[in-house]
Amino acid sequence: MADQLDCRGQACPEPVLQVKGVLERHNPDSLTVLVDNQAAVENVTRFLEYRHFQVVCQRVGADFMVAGTRVGDASAPVSQPLPEPLGLARRKIQIVVTTDRMGHGDDSLGAGLLINFLKTLKEMGPELWCLVFVNGGVRLTVEGSPALPILQDLAGDGVRILVCGTCLNHFKLLDKKQVGETTNMLDIVSGMQLADSVITV
Amino acid sequence: MTMIPTRLTQAVKGAGCAAKLAPGDLDRALCGLDLPVDENLIVGLERADDAGVYRISDELALVQTIDFFPPMVDDPYWFGQIAAANALSDIYAMGGTPKTAMNVVAFPAKTMDISILRQIIEGGLVTMREAGVVLVGGHTVEDSELKYGLSVTGFIHPGGILTKRSLCPGDRLILTKPLGTGIVCTAIKGGLASEEVAGRVTRIMATLNRDAAAVMSHYPVNACTDITGFGFLGHLAEMVVDSGSGVRIDAAAVPVHPEALEWAAMGLIPGGAYNNRMFRGRFVTFAEAVPQRLQDVLFDPQTSGGLLIAVAAEAAEQLLQALIGRDITAAMVGEVIADPRDMIVVE
Repeated sequence: MADQLDCRGQACPEPVLQVKGVLERHNPDSLTVLVDNQAAVENVTRFLEYRHFQVVCQRVGADFMVAGTRVGDASAPVSQPLPEPLGLARRKIQIVVTTDRMGHGDDSLGAGLLINFLKTLKEMGPELWCLVFVNGGVRLTVEGSPALPILQDLAGDGVRILVCGTCLNHFKLLDKKQVGETTNMLDIVSGMQLADSVITV
Repeated sequence: MTMIPTRLTQAVKGAGCAAKLAPGDLDRALCGLDLPVDENLIVGLERADDAGVYRISDELALVQTIDFFPPMVDDPYWFGQIAAANALSDIYAMGGTPKTAMNVVAFPAKTMDISILRQIIEGGLVTMREAGVVLVGGHTVEDSELKYGLSVTGFIHPGGILTKRSLCPGDRLILTKPLGTGIVCTAIKGGLASEEVAGRVTRIMATLNRDAAAVMSHYPVNACTDITGFGFLGHLAEMVVDSGSGVRIDAAAVPVHPEALEWAAMGLIPGGAYNNRMFRGRFVTFAEAVPQRLQDVLFDPQTSGGLLIAVAAEAAEQLLQALIGRDITAAMVGEVIADPRDMIVVE
């Protein structure tokens, strides 16, 4: 039975101190730590690896679950590659969706293609960082849109969803948005600068 | 009945310069502001330099800066000294001389005895006296979290202004204080730092950059900045981005508080380090051989760090020896290169 720690709401370096305390008191072979921010994920991961644990991390809603399992030999190399690295070294992909269909030639084919594209984005895994919706693309984020369940699912996985406020306003859809944050051009441009790849659809 | 915390770091969430607003957020707040124009403004907000500089005459310009933050050490007297040294540092980094200062204070009067504020200000005065700076006033607000620092005014000759921006390929880079204070302060906050280590790092943070600035004024320095909340790589990036030059850093040569490396490996890293990495990480490439713990220290937000000096190659060794001769922990940490442009390569 793994020790379970809930370190949400704790200011740095409390989560690491809590984990240290548990290791010293119980000397468990495995434990899980629930935290609510990326810095705590990084710090707890580093501490567990330092103490010869193999670490895996998963999102749990808006929080993160860091799970450590003791590596057999204490003299084993400390730096094990994380099977699910959640570090800041990971690539960030931003996708800009400029309308509610994909490609030109046939609009109903295009609409179906885009839904399929959005469904398949899950395959990018944690590298998918941000989805931006502008112009006609904002229609995908409002009530009644066939893309809504897919986008809500991605949002639940932690993907940032940005929906252009000016565009929502233009189409008179400002109060119909059901997923993501309403945002402005500055956030969109900043995202492009931070992203490692920007894909426009 | 007022409660007096015996350790200032236990009364606050963020420690020292690690409490700085995330650079991405700050950028969004400041980007595209419609700023007033004045032909006498030599260094203003758009240039994002260490201080503002305003010409008074052909011989004289005013330098202005401000710094304040929550405590990063437990003793109020040392907190005051460090916060003051940190605030004065920006003036020295521009090549100026600080002259007048005002206290900037946020104080939780309902839960902290006012004698603590008295000790903090006394600490600030120790540093100000050492720097030849007069305290001319201040402003205090009631707040749930303690913060202290200074607004500082100084003077400089318009021809002697050192900005962050004039790197020349071939310049050598010298750093004058060891890195790792953010990590050490996190360990202090966590109760894991010995008195000896806390004391040593505290004294270095409280040390003015005045002597280093005085030494460098005799040498052909092209650019200079001080290392504080954005970390070594964050402040270096401010010098490099859009400069047309790149920088190569010799990671092994960078002076570091030895305990900071061990504590970094243990994950005692302030959140500000991750913010700094997120904001500037894309301008930095690390060679495989640079261990994670050292990478973390290079992004670690510093409180009252040293000067990072870009000096012409032919004078670099002499400047280094002159600094060491004045008991300043200086080290040659890298050089300015032509290629890759606007990038920092850490080897």
